[in-house]
Amino acid sequence: MEFGNSGSLREDGIHLDMDRLKKGEVNLGTSIMAVTFKDGVILGADSRTTTGAYIANRVTDKLTQVHDTIWCCRSGSAADTQAVADIVKYQLELFAMRNGKPPTTQTAGAIFQEICYDNKDRLSAGLIIAGWDERHGGQVYSIPLGGSLHKQPYSIGGSGSTYIYGYCDANWREGMEEADAVDFVKGALKEAIKWDGSSGGVIRMVVLTAEGADRHLYLPDTDYKVRHV
Amino acid sequence: MDHRPQAWGRPRDDVYGAYDASYLHNNGPKTATQSPIVTGTSVIAIKFKDGVVMAADNLASYGSLARFTDVKRLRPFLSTSVVGFGGDVSDMQFLDRHLKELATDEAYEHEASSTTTDEGGSGAGEGQLNAANLYKYLSKLMYRRRNDFDPLWNQILVAGLDAHAKPFLASVDLRGTTFTSPSLATGFGAMLAQPIMRRYAATEEDAARLTREEAVNVIKECMKVLFYRDARSLDRYSIAVVTKDGVELSEDEQLEKQSWAFAERIRGYGTQVV
Amino acid sequence: MTSIGTGYDLANSIFSPDGRNFQVEYAVKAVENGGTSIGIRCKDGVVLAVEKIVTSKLLKQSANKRIATVDRHLGVAFSGMIPDGRHFIDRARDEARAWRDTFKTPISTADLASRMGGYMQAYTLYQSVRPFGITAIVGGFDSTEAAPVDGEVGSGPSCGAGGKVLGKTHGGPFLYMIEPSGLYWGYYGAATGKGRQSAKAELEKLDLGGPAGPALTLEEAVKEAARIIYVAHDDSKDKEFELEMTWISGADGPTKGLHQEVPKALREEAERLAKKSLEDDEEEEPKEEKMEE
Repeated sequence: MEFGNSGSLREDGIHLDMDRLKKGEVNLGTSIMAVTFKDGVILGADSRTTTGAYIANRVTDKLTQVHDTIWCCRSGSAADTQAVADIVKYQLELFAMRNGKPPTTQTAGAIFQEICYDNKDRLSAGLIIAGWDERHGGQVYSIPLGGSLHKQPYSIGGSGSTYIYGYCDANWREGMEEADAVDFVKGALKEAIKWDGSSGGVIRMVVLTAEGADRHLYLPDTDYKVRHV
Repeated sequence: MDHRPQAWGRPRDDVYGAYDASYLHNNGPKTATQSPIVTGTSVIAIKFKDGVVMAADNLASYGSLARFTDVKRLRPFLSTSVVGFGGDVSDMQFLDRHLKELATDEAYEHEASSTTTDEGGSGAGEGQLNAANLYKYLSKLMYRRRNDFDPLWNQILVAGLDAHAKPFLASVDLRGTTFTSPSLATGFGAMLAQPIMRRYAATEEDAARLTREEAVNVIKECMKVLFYRDARSLDRYSIAVVTKDGVELSEDEQLEKQSWAFAERIRGYGTQVV
Repeated sequence: MTSIGTGYDLANSIFSPDGRNFQVEYAVKAVENGGTSIGIRCKDGVVLAVEKIVTSKLLKQSANKRIATVDRHLGVAFSGMIPDGRHFIDRARDEARAWRDTFKTPISTADLASRMGGYMQAYTLYQSVRPFGITAIVGGFDSTEAAPVDGEVGSGPSCGAGGKVLGKTHGGPFLYMIEPSGLYWGYYGAATGKGRQSAKAELEKLDLGGPAGPALTLEEAVKEAARIIYVAHDDSKDKEFELEMTWISGADGPTKGLHQEVPKALREEAERLAKKSLEDDEEEEPKEEKMEE
């Protein structure tokens, strides 16, 4: 499979997600992240989808539910990541029915990882899996391009993430309260949107706890200060 | 608007250029693989009197980005051997899972052929795979995958004891190339650490005179040099010592006694003195 | 069994008019002829024990085991036809492997029991097959700690994952018994094979099913298991036998979450106590049972 002539990894090639796109493909330029906190996890994302420099969708939802309280953030090819998420959603639904118990975040991570690894030469998908389950509480798994599986206290991904490694490392604290964790995600995504041309639009979040899934929405025209929804 | 049905559903040629359909055709050899994405750098190891010491740092890089800083790249096998992985992390995880299955199959075999064991049956029992056996298996696996044009993108060191309970150390890479030596290093380590290790263990005889403490010190010294000079390295690392008593693995070591203060004496780049 | 098949026992896929599957009932007979197997679910693990009848002095001692490991944390003991048991174990290992390949975590005892129950049941449905001539006892210890996904690297926050449901425990020791019909239940203590009646009577005397969970510890259970096998054997008084015994503890126990043979020293001690207890019970005719190994 050809990915275009800049498809190989440059020594300093951190914009590799873009290089791996197939010709004419819609790109989730993207800033995505997920963090663990005291009561669970929070996923966050911008809302920009680009084809080259054109914004194909300015209100994209990159936070995708694969089970009640297991969600993922998608980066890379929109088509690929949607296809993978659809497969995993189906598998997890089947798991829940067959085994009479909800799948864990680990189950989701394992299935995502297998698909991404087995099809590594066909997919451009950078995923962050985050979920809450009764047994393991909130967990975050990162599955970058090659299809490896990394457990992390928090994870950032997409082209915009390269601008906020410093911000996140400096401001991250373990076991935050929900409000502080929301502020952390919002602060980080604001910076990513500011510096990354491929990220922009609104900030979406999903908070996953024992209570279930709770959506947040923050808009740029109110400087992301007011929570809508 | 292009009214030809062939053009429907395609990105517009005037905007995106002609559609590149090359991926639809399969000319030439099958090239299933790819290049490594998330990678680990050097693994180094040296034999000593009673066993082998191995080390690798805890970094998984994403290009030049130090993306994951808690990746353990030394994996014990059956508490008789240690496998150290450089190269692609997803392939390392594949091999790790594969070795876990192998260990389970070994336990089944061992159980079927054993009579009564004295204590539960942990550790290297009679007839269990030793490091030399494991290495042979891994090298065949790696070579087969390269012949399928689907290599596992790793450089691997295997350490442990052989069938004669002598220290064993050998290397296999993504092409199935195999070799062995009293000290071994992958990646940058082959250039930076190997010369240092050879000062202490140029021959098997030299290695057989090294004590465990000396070997550990050599490895720690090498990890320091690698941190100074390998731009894809980290100062946190894992170190494993494998002897007949099993594997001692420490996965959260911090580089100590680094030397940086001499930077003070460096002024300008030539004649400048202030 | 009082009635005979009168033609309704010739194949699996035929019910008798009073709603019985005679082939399955005959399979149960095969189990009832086999050496006793028991399982005890105790406070901190599971013990499996079988009475292995020595059918010939020409067979190697302690070879041809009737308890096998599945994955690393599960054990299967069985009574009945040994080749059927071997196949059951092969299948259980395949199921455990398939689970790991898909979900990258160990299969739970309950899930394995469920899958093997389904497998056994399928052999009661078709003309072309006969039911399994075994009853299997499946014991396992499901990790109480959160285990990593196979192969994963990295770790979560050092303060531990947030939002866990407090006071709720997970995993622990589990015991199931699967019969030729495919029927399976979870048990506190399970017994099958020739000596099952007296073994069950002995098991019922133990404190296994209290509201606070079993009081018996693993080491006590090993000694009880040995004694029960000796009691069950004593009733039938047939050939010589070997005691085969395995155990599974949690990660903090003696087997570190693995299914393993009970160490020789402990087993011999348990056998010594078992023999002593039998002799104490039967003072009137103190017989010398030479059961040295």
